[in-house]
Amino acid sequence: MDFGATEPEPIYDDSLGLFITCEGNFMYGNASLSYYNIEERKVENRVFRRANGADLGDVAQSMTIHDGRGYVVVNNSGIVFIIDPDTFVITGTIEGLTSPRYIHFVDDGKAYISDLYDPRITVYDPRTGSIVGHIETGDHPSTEQMVQWGDYVFTNCWSYDNSILVIDTRTDTVVDRIEVGIQPTSMVIDRNGKLWTITDGGFPTSPYGCEAPSLYRIDPATRRIERRFTFFEGDSPSELAIDGEGGRIYFINKDIWAMDVTAENLPAKPIVQNTGTIYYGLAVDPLSGDIYVADAIDYQQPGVVYRYSSEGAEIDSFEVGITPGAFCFKRP
Amino acid sequence: MTIASTIRTLLAAALAALLPAAASAQHSDTIDIEGVEIVGHRPLKQIGIQSTKMDSLVLKESISLSVADILTQNTPVFIKSYGRGSMATASMRGTAPSHTKVTWNGMSLNSPMLGMVDFSYIPAYLVDDAELYHGAGSVGVSGGGLGGAVTLSTRPADEHGLSLRYVQGIGSFSTYDEFLRASYGNDRWKASTRILYSSSDNDFRYTNYHKIKQPVYDAEGNVVGSRYVEDRNRSADFADFHILQEAYHNTRSGHRIGLAAWYMSSRRGIPKISADYRDDSSTRTRQNENTLRAVVSWEKISGSFKAGARAGYTYTDMLYTYSYDLTGTGEQMREGIHSQSYVNSLFAKADIEYALSDKWLFTADIALNQHFVQSIDRSVIVQDGSSAVIGYKEARAEVSAYASIRYKPTERIGLAACVRDDMYGDSFTPPVPALYVDALLSKRGELTLKGSVTRNYRYPTLNDLYFMPGGNPDLRPEKGISYDAGLSTHVRRQRLDFSAAATWFDSYIDDWILWRATPKGFWTPLNIKRVHSYGIELRASLSVTWSQDWSLKASGLYTVTHAVNHGDPVSVNDASIGKQLPYIPVYSASATVRLDWRKWSIVYKWNHYSERHTTSSNDLRISDSVQPYYMSDLSLERRIATRPLDLSLRFDIRNLLDEEYETVLSHPMPRMNFGFYIGITPKFRNAAAGRY
Repeated sequence: MDFGATEPEPIYDDSLGLFITCEGNFMYGNASLSYYNIEERKVENRVFRRANGADLGDVAQSMTIHDGRGYVVVNNSGIVFIIDPDTFVITGTIEGLTSPRYIHFVDDGKAYISDLYDPRITVYDPRTGSIVGHIETGDHPSTEQMVQWGDYVFTNCWSYDNSILVIDTRTDTVVDRIEVGIQPTSMVIDRNGKLWTITDGGFPTSPYGCEAPSLYRIDPATRRIERRFTFFEGDSPSELAIDGEGGRIYFINKDIWAMDVTAENLPAKPIVQNTGTIYYGLAVDPLSGDIYVADAIDYQQPGVVYRYSSEGAEIDSFEVGITPGAFCFKRP
Repeated sequence: MTIASTIRTLLAAALAALLPAAASAQHSDTIDIEGVEIVGHRPLKQIGIQSTKMDSLVLKESISLSVADILTQNTPVFIKSYGRGSMATASMRGTAPSHTKVTWNGMSLNSPMLGMVDFSYIPAYLVDDAELYHGAGSVGVSGGGLGGAVTLSTRPADEHGLSLRYVQGIGSFSTYDEFLRASYGNDRWKASTRILYSSSDNDFRYTNYHKIKQPVYDAEGNVVGSRYVEDRNRSADFADFHILQEAYHNTRSGHRIGLAAWYMSSRRGIPKISADYRDDSSTRTRQNENTLRAVVSWEKISGSFKAGARAGYTYTDMLYTYSYDLTGTGEQMREGIHSQSYVNSLFAKADIEYALSDKWLFTADIALNQHFVQSIDRSVIVQDGSSAVIGYKEARAEVSAYASIRYKPTERIGLAACVRDDMYGDSFTPPVPALYVDALLSKRGELTLKGSVTRNYRYPTLNDLYFMPGGNPDLRPEKGISYDAGLSTHVRRQRLDFSAAATWFDSYIDDWILWRATPKGFWTPLNIKRVHSYGIELRASLSVTWSQDWSLKASGLYTVTHAVNHGDPVSVNDASIGKQLPYIPVYSASATVRLDWRKWSIVYKWNHYSERHTTSSNDLRISDSVQPYYMSDLSLERRIATRPLDLSLRFDIRNLLDEEYETVLSHPMPRMNFGFYIGITPKFRNAAAGRY
């Protein structure tokens, strides 16, 4: 391909599908979006670029679909692209962001956007397509994922932090903080309304400390930790996910592990054995319960996504873009 | 006793044996060491060594050039450049930037933290001699040059009396270059001061093919199409200041004493990539650096004996910041990243050369570097109003000892063997041996065959060992074995000078240190990669003088470099095995033609890089490669001699064909741009013409 213009091509796929955001390499602007047709087991790569004749940008972090529109958060481009999830064509953008990570829809009229450096969560109005405010996060400059329980949104502060902030969506203010272990990486809410988070424990020699990573079950009503499951020091659990019924959580800790939300102990056996690589992303299909695992290989070549049944039997695998990190399911 | 310790003992014995021999040699006047050559222009010291020497005409061609530009145009080195005022690193024979060792007046320029050299910080105008040593030739310069080595040095000005030279340049994108050299010299003393200041907004316009297209409206406001945005190269401004002070003294008894001190202060923006949608005032990345390098040297030549000693000091502080402004005005910037490093290095070196006869030459040297390094990354922990420092503070001594024997059994044959051993901290690399052979196949045309082989090691940098997080203190030295062989010819006629060389190289690097992601999200260096690198280097140059008025110089290079990953797969799906390393072009070429007519000169420069893959698997489906490009520059110069001063006027057109291109993904390069330069050399009584 010669340097220069890329002619857009029409693509259309309204199937049950899975978006995979591929980060690319930092400062190379080669992030990409892959789309996997779940029923036909067929993948299309670089769909954003092919549909729009422009690159997705630098470090595609996450994607959320709300009200028939896909929101792709591109961290180091400082932008959220709004796309048609069937044609992948851009229908809008959210700009004026510093280093966005995730977007969470509180309701049809309000979304929050977390940020790696900006000590504020951006409040966005999808109806007007404008930023309408910010939520100060104070001494917690870095916010990550967001989950909602009633009128409250919980966001984990990962980078050299040990906090989950509680935001009152009625006032758009941080009203509380839950202290967990060092560096909570991800969160889910189960069918019992319990908040789960998993920490990576930091790293040896870190001035912020290093400890054994843990899985926490938290009561979002009282904001108290109900149960702490401790891993071995040196373990690296991450990428907490949950099935469609909210009865089983999944996470990466070298292998892929599944655990019932009522379990009193960490599982003894993984559901998927590691194949000698470092898994980078994890998601569970809320309809089928199929498990999707991303392998970034060496972070400089097309990654691979493995699809397993809810019991860990391999169903499919397919190549995607560089450094596949996050997933987003599309329902017709 | 291990093989390593045996060789170390032999090395020490060789050094010890040389010292008394050298001392006694001071009393004999049998051989003039500077005149020891095999035949014609083949010095004994250069037996079997593949090297490329940059002549002063090339180095002093333009005030706007860095050593990176010189290497790009005149050597097989691949320079990965992010544009003027931005990082430029070297890859030689398919290796990494840290595998090219660089010295300035004998002192290492490679960062003890990163291992590499950013050549964009070295203006060509501050260098008087530059030579590239390919492959095994680097062993005589430094250990660890798995790709090669570059030696840069200054030397006394030729002039006697007072001389001045001032150059003012103005170019596209508000680029200004100013240079002043004042020097004074007589038979015993030489002193010189050089000041160089270069600054630029560097905000060239380009068509941004990475961003989404913008709608095009007709007169009624209807959308009738779309087009790519015309963007600016943003946040790429730079202001680099250099001052170089030199002083030299030759005593009546033949001692040469020198001082060279070079201070640099650089303020640079890190250019925003094409795919960055944030406006200029909302985020900003900058890199500031202050560096002082100073070397004092002593040298004594006495007949067949030459001895030298050097001592030096390097200070560097570098600050990298990423700032953002929540107001969007750019007036209340807050730092998200604040990474600072300090390097203090002490340097000492002693070397001796002894020519036993016109057939034997012995050399040995020993160099010591003591580094004190501090790496600080603060403002990452700000909870409860407190902050903490992530980083490390380390000191490391490095000692490198070297000895060589060069022998010419017949007029046509030269043989050389050398060994180097490096100590870093309390560890040793295995000994680094190198063998060279040199054979004059035909006196007619000076047809010469050269060959060399070495086993080389590069020990880990301080960041590799101690960087927080991820530093790995268990790393082993990288090891390389390389071979090369080449033919060269040189034809000299009264009005014509032609030379050409062809070299084949083949090298294997094992335990290549590569930073890999960990499950915790940070990266850590591991000895994992095996690379086989092979190819050819072709070079030719021609110089013709038709008459007193007309002359022509032309040179060309063509390089083929296959650098192939032969490591173990990371996982079953790893498709990088057997593939060309990212960002190493297989083919590169350059040509320079200079035509002189009386007081006019015209120079045409052309260079080409083939496609560079950006993925380890060379996959083009999910990431673009950097496209091949052919770059042309043209310059026209007029020299005017008047009674009080010499003037030179020069006009440059860069990117003559107005090519749109990138050298690194998402980093645009400027299209056609211009520079105009005036050089003024006042004529003082008793002063010879300047060298510039």
